[in-house]
Amino acid sequence: MPINRFSIVTLAFFASLFFPLTVRSSEPSFRRDVMPIFFRAGCNAGTCHGSARGKDGFMLSLFGYDTKGDYERVVNEMIGRRVNIAVPEESLLLLKATGAVPHTGGKLFGKDSEYYKTVLQWIEAGAPDDIGQVPSTVEVVLSRKGLVFEKAELSEALTVTAIASDGSTRDVSRLARFFSNNDSVARIDADGRVTAVGSGDTNVFARFSRFTVGAEVIVLPPEAKFQWPDPVAVNFIDELVFDRLKKLRVVPSDLCDDETFLRRVTLDLVARPPTQGEYREFMADTRSDKRAIKIDQLLDDDAFADFWTALWAEQLRVIGGNYAPVATDVKAADAFYQWIRTQKRSRRPLNEFISEMVDASGSNLSNGPVNLYTMLVHKPQFEPKAFAADFSQAFLGVQIQCAECHNHPFDRWTQDDYYGFVSFFTGMKRKPGIEPRERRIFCDTSAPPAKHLVDGRPMPAKTLGSVEPVPAGGDPRKALAQWLTSPENEMFSRNLANRIWAQLLGRGIIEPVDDVRASNPPVNGPLLDSLSKRLVEVKFDLRTLVRDICHSRVYQLSARPNESNVRDTRQFSHAHLRRLRADVLLDSIVAVTGVPRRFSGFPDGTRAIEYYPRESGDTEGPHFGDPFFATFGRSSRATVCACETKREPTLSQTLHMAVGDSVRDRLSANGEVKRVLESKSGPEDVIEELFVRALGRQPKSEETAAMRALIGDAVKDPAAYEDILWSLLNSTEFAFNH
Amino acid sequence: MKSAMLLSAACKSVVFPKHAQLAVCSGCVRLLSKLIAHGSRSLLESGYGEIRSRFRRNSVNRSVVTSAILWALCLTVHAEDAKPVTYDDHVATIFKKHCLQCHGDSKQEAGLNLASYLSIRKGGSGGEVVVAGRSSSSRLFKAITEEDPEARMPPKNDPLPKEQIALIQAWIDTGLRQSSGSSPVAVRKLGFTPTAVDKSDGPPPMPQNLTAIESARLIRPFPVIALAASPRAPLIAVSSYERIDFVDPSSRNLIGSVPFPEGEPHLLRFNRSGSVLLAAGGRPVQNGVAVLYDVKTGRRLAEIGNETDVVLAADLSVDEQQIAIGGSSRVVKVYSTETGSLVRSLVKHTEWITAIAYSPDGKLLATGDRVGNIHLWDAAIGGVVLPLSEHKASITSLSWRSDSQVLASSGEDGMIVWWDVAKGWPAVSKADAHPPQRPAGVFGKIANGVLAASFGPGGELVTCGRDRTVRLWASDGNLLKAFGPDSNKAGDSQISSIRILPLQVSLTFDGRIVVSGDSAGQLNSWPIESVQK
Repeated sequence: MPINRFSIVTLAFFASLFFPLTVRSSEPSFRRDVMPIFFRAGCNAGTCHGSARGKDGFMLSLFGYDTKGDYERVVNEMIGRRVNIAVPEESLLLLKATGAVPHTGGKLFGKDSEYYKTVLQWIEAGAPDDIGQVPSTVEVVLSRKGLVFEKAELSEALTVTAIASDGSTRDVSRLARFFSNNDSVARIDADGRVTAVGSGDTNVFARFSRFTVGAEVIVLPPEAKFQWPDPVAVNFIDELVFDRLKKLRVVPSDLCDDETFLRRVTLDLVARPPTQGEYREFMADTRSDKRAIKIDQLLDDDAFADFWTALWAEQLRVIGGNYAPVATDVKAADAFYQWIRTQKRSRRPLNEFISEMVDASGSNLSNGPVNLYTMLVHKPQFEPKAFAADFSQAFLGVQIQCAECHNHPFDRWTQDDYYGFVSFFTGMKRKPGIEPRERRIFCDTSAPPAKHLVDGRPMPAKTLGSVEPVPAGGDPRKALAQWLTSPENEMFSRNLANRIWAQLLGRGIIEPVDDVRASNPPVNGPLLDSLSKRLVEVKFDLRTLVRDICHSRVYQLSARPNESNVRDTRQFSHAHLRRLRADVLLDSIVAVTGVPRRFSGFPDGTRAIEYYPRESGDTEGPHFGDPFFATFGRSSRATVCACETKREPTLSQTLHMAVGDSVRDRLSANGEVKRVLESKSGPEDVIEELFVRALGRQPKSEETAAMRALIGDAVKDPAAYEDILWSLLNSTEFAFNH
Repeated sequence: MKSAMLLSAACKSVVFPKHAQLAVCSGCVRLLSKLIAHGSRSLLESGYGEIRSRFRRNSVNRSVVTSAILWALCLTVHAEDAKPVTYDDHVATIFKKHCLQCHGDSKQEAGLNLASYLSIRKGGSGGEVVVAGRSSSSRLFKAITEEDPEARMPPKNDPLPKEQIALIQAWIDTGLRQSSGSSPVAVRKLGFTPTAVDKSDGPPPMPQNLTAIESARLIRPFPVIALAASPRAPLIAVSSYERIDFVDPSSRNLIGSVPFPEGEPHLLRFNRSGSVLLAAGGRPVQNGVAVLYDVKTGRRLAEIGNETDVVLAADLSVDEQQIAIGGSSRVVKVYSTETGSLVRSLVKHTEWITAIAYSPDGKLLATGDRVGNIHLWDAAIGGVVLPLSEHKASITSLSWRSDSQVLASSGEDGMIVWWDVAKGWPAVSKADAHPPQRPAGVFGKIANGVLAASFGPGGELVTCGRDRTVRLWASDGNLLKAFGPDSNKAGDSQISSIRILPLQVSLTFDGRIVVSGDSAGQLNSWPIESVQK
């Protein structure tokens, strides 16, 4: 007997399909309830279905940046397979997640879990898509900002609250993911319970939606052993660093001696060791503020400006070539370099210095600062995306390039931020100028903005983190320059302050300096805040901030650790041993031996710090220029990354110092050792002089004795003293700023 | 004539992009290349009726026409008489400028000389480089559009300007004309005479005394993921969860059901006499099987295969000796229906097998996979006959025309291809065959997959797609009619936030009713008055 199939269908349909589908608040929403489970269970992680090509034929967007696409893939890509709206518990999604069928990712949750129930309820409701706007998460808050544990083994649970765009809040502790930056200090488990492991400080984080929020965790060493020495704070820097050390029960090292201070500050500010004249003058000086006087002297030296010119030129990837189409001709590089040097020597405030580059237009040969648009990214054509990423890394210390393909997994940056930022540069063009080497850089204001990767939306120019785009019309870089360098833009001033600090202390308060992100917080937040505020307060004057830092006791601490701070590597309780940069090392060798170094294409007397690579051909790829720099790890300028400057020792460096021409050929070349020998009365005095010149200190008596023994009877033979100088230049002490 | 002058200006500005007249036409060039990339459908549907009718009168093959129309659009904007893209007028200068250094009279890299029309047609040492009507299969076109700069021509250089690539594409797709006076190189036509239906088996088999099966576990109808029409009777087999329903296509009344306790039937197909129904399916990542039922009694005749995942595709050979099945294992397995044992494995696909179909003459087996590859095999011995490559995304179905000359394939890339099986070329291909509407404010790609395609007895094809329509195509590949998404729909098609998609479609044995099943488990049907042959 024929049965009306349609009527059965209709009945079933209206009875069981229609009603559950009427939107009720209790019905799980795909975006609000189901997607967070994919995140929590790790389904959309990069190693699983969040991989760009998916996994085993099923793809989800990494950490859920593409909610619409994820819905389509889960529900509509293979109908009847992943979700089964007729027999919901038979949905492959659930069978896989609970390990009921073979799953590469294994079992992720049980059938009795709340996750299972939520997904099941959603499928039972017909696996509906969300209608209209689902309130999105606008903020995530951790229950504690910081935790202090008296000893290991103690623990405490954190809860995570998400605040939605409609103002509602909910506890998402069971949907967030947790991680610790240092498991040897504190661990955090999958449900947010923090357990102290060993003394030190670190941060733990919760991730939910596109937010990463952290709490500082301090695990204290035993109190019994700790006694605060109460050192005198010279300025705000000392106060903030000592506050932190006291909180961590770490005793700072002693103040360094005058010899160490002089060598350290001279290397740091003018990029060479002190001369013997400077040494003797400083040591003889009995004024109590002689260190401050020395700092001021060095800050006024042109070499200070030249050194910072070199650091900026390296960061902005100045390289000269002779292949006109890439717009980086030597003449353009020179124009840029000279312009930077002029700004540094004339003490141009850093914000103005950067602002002028950001909205520069015109000829790459005659208008130096426009070469930001030819040098920062070396390409035959201007590439807005690569440039935007490097720009943000250089001037904000922020790496937004992750957000090209997906929202930044460990920071706040979304694809909206990224493509909005790229749009500042989509109009940048180069056109041939009057002479073959010349390119004119300009902004084509009619160029369309960048398109969003996921849905192709045009994304008008928008500053990072803001909601509204900048006003349309004209060159958007004006608004960018204004926003970037404004005193209100803390990202900008903090980045500058942190980089300056890192240059002088050997380690950033945020380290690496160009990887600022939510999950890489400052090790001393108040210190970075104050340095940044101070920089703004003094109108972005580099020298004032450098002076403040050099004045501080923290800068002047000894590198010798004590029992309490020997394990500390990041709280500035003692000075860091810092290997000299390649260019500073070469200048130091030249300064000690008195034999200049020539650089191809540069006039005689050019210092190593003033050298930048000049290449025949285009300027893409790594360029060291002089082979000494390749050996000793000067930045190859292949990328904008601060890590291009290598501080790691290599065997070839050791060999080069020992037998290479840089040291060996200089020992006797202009008879400097001979002159010292003639001017001094005895071998002990000669030894003392060589120590002062090479290491900036007096030899110890046992050192003098050992050296004297080497000389033996040949007290007037320069060769023996040259050997001594050789060994001093090959000593670890010479290669380090300590 | 003024219009002729405008025309030549337009053409020049295309060929010589640096020419001063570029501004006149660059917008059109961009539009042109965009349209070519997009496919022709949207254009045909969007009000260029005049162009369409002009080309219809010319009765040039459709695939040629569509591309030509695209090209013509650019020209007609400027001039009243469209001029075809030819070697002499357009393409020769491009080759001369970019290619002849290495592929010319003095030097023939890879044996290829692009200096004359004849030498281009002759090809290089690797065979011909241009195929009339098929830019996508022309090696020359592939070489200049290669994404990998290492493999692209011209070597170590920027790609050719987009306008020039569009010209070369238009030239190939419109039939490789040598000059404006020459006619396009012959492109295949879809000649068809329906093969007589086998009537030797007596009255058409219909199920008798089958009853409905209530499935208690179902909280709502299972999506119609498989559907088949009997080739001889007014009978439709429809998949449900753990059962198969037999339905009367005109009333959509249930005639009776057979159980399929193995899970979800993913594929249903009748044999030629309509007496046996093949059902294949299973449970995802659990089991997979193919089952043969006697249509009259509902009795199980055979169970074939013991897979670890759902059988996604299967077919019964014409002599009913073999069943080929495929799924996530990427291997097509051919079983003997007599012994149930594995006869051979066809290993060539690199992704899940999504479609399998034996040709009605029993000679060939076509198989398709999830990345869009189709392979033709010798049905008797399993040897590779031809690869059919045109699709860029998953094949969703393969259907043979009853004369075995044409195979239709549909894909998630939005394409329908009518394959000339003898040559292995698309006789007709429709890109964006089911174009979804673009909601206001939505940018980027919208899913436009074609979900199923099935030939009717008159050589007409029915398809359904993610645009939620069912479409009927004439035997020459022209669109006859689009149904839905809301016409003649039982109930609401879009309840709440669940999008209902037509998943399967079929024409009845007499070609008079289109039946489709959707993701909400509903059946829809539309009568067809007369089918244009």
